[in-house]
Amino acid sequence: MPANQAALPIDILEQRSHRDARHERLFRWLLKGCALIVLASLLGAAGATLWGGREAFSAFGWHFLVSSAWDPGNDVYGAVVPVYGTIATSLIALLIAVPISFGIAVYLSEVAPAWLRTPVASAIELLAGIPSIIYGMWGLFVFAPFFANHIKPWLTNNLGNKPDDGKLSWAAEHVPFVGKLFGSDYPFGASILVAGIVLAVMIIPFISSVMREVFQTVPTRLKESAYALGSSTWEVSWDIVLPYTRSAVIGGIFLGLGRALGETMAVTFVLGNAMHLSASLLDPGASIASTIANQFSEATGLQKSSLMALAFLLFVVTFVVLLIARLMLRQLARKEGR
Amino acid sequence: MSSPYLRRRITNALAMVMSTLATLVGLAFLAWILWETLRQGISALDLKLFTKITAYGESGGLANAMVGSLIINFIGIAIATPIGVLAGTWLAEYADRTRLGESIRFLNDILLSAPSIVMGLFVYTIIVLPTTVLTHGSTTFSGFAGGVALALIALPVIVRTTDEMLRLVPSTLREAALSLGVPQWKLTLQILIRAARSGIITGVLLALARISGETAPLLFTAFGNNYMAINPIEKMSSLPQIIYQYANDPGDAMHALAWAGAFVITMFVLLLSLASRLILSRTKVSHD
Amino acid sequence: MTDSAIATNPAQAAAASAVAPKLTVRDLHFYYSGFHALKGISMDIPEKKVTAIIGPSGCGKSTLLRIFNRIYAIYPKLEAKGEIVLDGENILDPGYSMNRLRGKVGMVFQKPVPFPMTIFENVAYGIRHHEKLSKTDMTARVEQALRSAALWDEVKDKLKQNALGLSGGQQQRLCIARAIALKPEVLLLDEPTSALDPIATSRIEQLIEELKSQFTIVIVTHNMQQAARVSDLTAFMYMGELIEFDQTEKIFTKPGRKQTEDYITGRFG
Repeated sequence: MPANQAALPIDILEQRSHRDARHERLFRWLLKGCALIVLASLLGAAGATLWGGREAFSAFGWHFLVSSAWDPGNDVYGAVVPVYGTIATSLIALLIAVPISFGIAVYLSEVAPAWLRTPVASAIELLAGIPSIIYGMWGLFVFAPFFANHIKPWLTNNLGNKPDDGKLSWAAEHVPFVGKLFGSDYPFGASILVAGIVLAVMIIPFISSVMREVFQTVPTRLKESAYALGSSTWEVSWDIVLPYTRSAVIGGIFLGLGRALGETMAVTFVLGNAMHLSASLLDPGASIASTIANQFSEATGLQKSSLMALAFLLFVVTFVVLLIARLMLRQLARKEGR
Repeated sequence: MSSPYLRRRITNALAMVMSTLATLVGLAFLAWILWETLRQGISALDLKLFTKITAYGESGGLANAMVGSLIINFIGIAIATPIGVLAGTWLAEYADRTRLGESIRFLNDILLSAPSIVMGLFVYTIIVLPTTVLTHGSTTFSGFAGGVALALIALPVIVRTTDEMLRLVPSTLREAALSLGVPQWKLTLQILIRAARSGIITGVLLALARISGETAPLLFTAFGNNYMAINPIEKMSSLPQIIYQYANDPGDAMHALAWAGAFVITMFVLLLSLASRLILSRTKVSHD
Repeated sequence: MTDSAIATNPAQAAAASAVAPKLTVRDLHFYYSGFHALKGISMDIPEKKVTAIIGPSGCGKSTLLRIFNRIYAIYPKLEAKGEIVLDGENILDPGYSMNRLRGKVGMVFQKPVPFPMTIFENVAYGIRHHEKLSKTDMTARVEQALRSAALWDEVKDKLKQNALGLSGGQQQRLCIARAIALKPEVLLLDEPTSALDPIATSRIEQLIEELKSQFTIVIVTHNMQQAARVSDLTAFMYMGELIEFDQTEKIFTKPGRKQTEDYITGRFG
């Protein structure tokens, strides 16, 4: 093969280099443009809702944030009821989901026999794949009635301040807030507590998979040296694994919180859509997302703008929560040297 | 036996039991939800679901909602895939370790869990409102707007998987192509994306699974339509939107239809995630 | 033939081979993120000979090879100073066209890296970027390259199959075919057999012997026997410096430097 005859005239080579450089520049700009769309969608969502909510913000000012009124009749709106509902349901969800997720993560990384880990982990992950509207359906038609028939009577009678037989329990009388939190004469299941429970089930797979993943980053030698000192499985999990992964675990919890705050469908189905404030967790309420879902299509004028303003609040709050989550998780990625 | 030792053993046993119980609770909820969806869904399955439209109400089916879902999902994926793949490619190949690249990667991760209803309102503002004004109200909500809203939700999923999958491609492949004098853009499009192909497809399937159950962003974009709509500039129905509407209806027959819709969506989503898992497990064998 | 005891002078080595130099390296320094990896390398690499570079790992031998086609330039924070003259032009000159360089200098890497496409496309891919060929010309060119790489008989019936299905040795010969399909003048081989079994290795070594009539070959290897078997000249590097560069026979029988001798006799490395 004549190897050395391929040399092309230099000007053709130069031309090709110029063409390549031009294509390369175009390609870079195309790619960068696409990446900037990601940025634009984030800024756009914040900007669009802020712009949509400008009438509400200018009409009510700071009162929008502290008023519990939501009165389309008099065209007066405040964010307190949906904000309270959003925070209350999300906190209940965390209260339930965090210990369960921790348990699942410990089970999957320390307790379960090796052959069982993958199938159980995939099953839990399957929970994350179920669309939120299915959670909503299940919550509305299955869980809320079940709750109303089997759990709620026990709660109201044993903890609430409005028991059926009129006799206050010891807890309702002596422990502050308990009576109010669990007192209700509303007959249905849909309530802040039920919404919190449904949300908890939804975010368990997110939190537990983050926890499990970060638990696996704990160096084996660290665990082995603790076991060698005679530590039990629980002591290794609680004293070695958890402190070692603390920031990432908090990141995982915030990730779950971010999900819970912004969740719409599952909550809308089981929250009861009541636009007034109630101290009881067993009474219906509203969240930001459920209020928007229920009212936006029929709203006009100031009401529509108030809903946009709510959406802006929701977006900003979830952004901050998710920001914290990612920052916490990133520390772990660094530790791993990724 | 000394008492601190006994106490530690009891604590440990208790903790082990609790962690096992926690797992059982999680699995029980999964079983409960799937079981109800299967039971109620299968008992409501009927041929008319696929042949009749929702305009007939109780005696109708979900045909227009299924067609609408397919069209809207298709639009969403068709928009999000090229943008997402190119954006992910930029992050992995051109902007790795640059400030802008790291920021976009970080914000993309946040977008992954951003509230979808806000995305719906965003698209309402940038597409539904302008088209309403421009067409003097003859076009308002549309399947296209719904597709764009879903695209915004699919986008971060595709960006993230593309980014991750490309970063798994060994750098020797890049060197080999560059040593042939191939320019970087050709290398990226023709070799790297091809090498990461199955991973990227998995990402697209996951994104499709994610958006096919989304309801909130469709409420104010595609809106809904009781008749069969094929043209994406018309209002369009979708399965999740019909489920939402029917579940809030007092009639039991409507609830049955909603369960049937829920069953169809769940099966679709589970099959998608199964398929993406299969593809991913196969690729690990083929590369290295 | 020079009989002087120390033959580190590259000019002498080139003279020894009695062939004009193809690549001339002059006072080459290389830095990455502050680390001084190559310290003033100068050598003449003769045309249509096999030059082997040996040395303990981390000595800079692969780094040197990767400067010959400037593949290092795809990574940030790397810097080369000095001159590498190929056919009278300095390839380190920023104005030197990358297309031209990569067309003239082909490279084969440590691990076989077939592209995720068919066997035929693997070879045709690089050609397509440099030349527009008709279908028949392309087919002929691919066949020629595969024949030169001693792979044709094994793959001629499965050109349309994915290259990832080939064995490791076949994949590496495919990578050689891919590189020589561009008709380069210099062929760089970066430990081309380190991932292969002994049988595949001996096939590649045989191939190097056949290819040397057409190409100037530079091979980096950690395997001294291999260097002794395949090369005409051998360079020994240590800690980023070129310790000795001379005819292979001489390096392995009568090394001029103590360090070379220690390395070759296995006293370190």
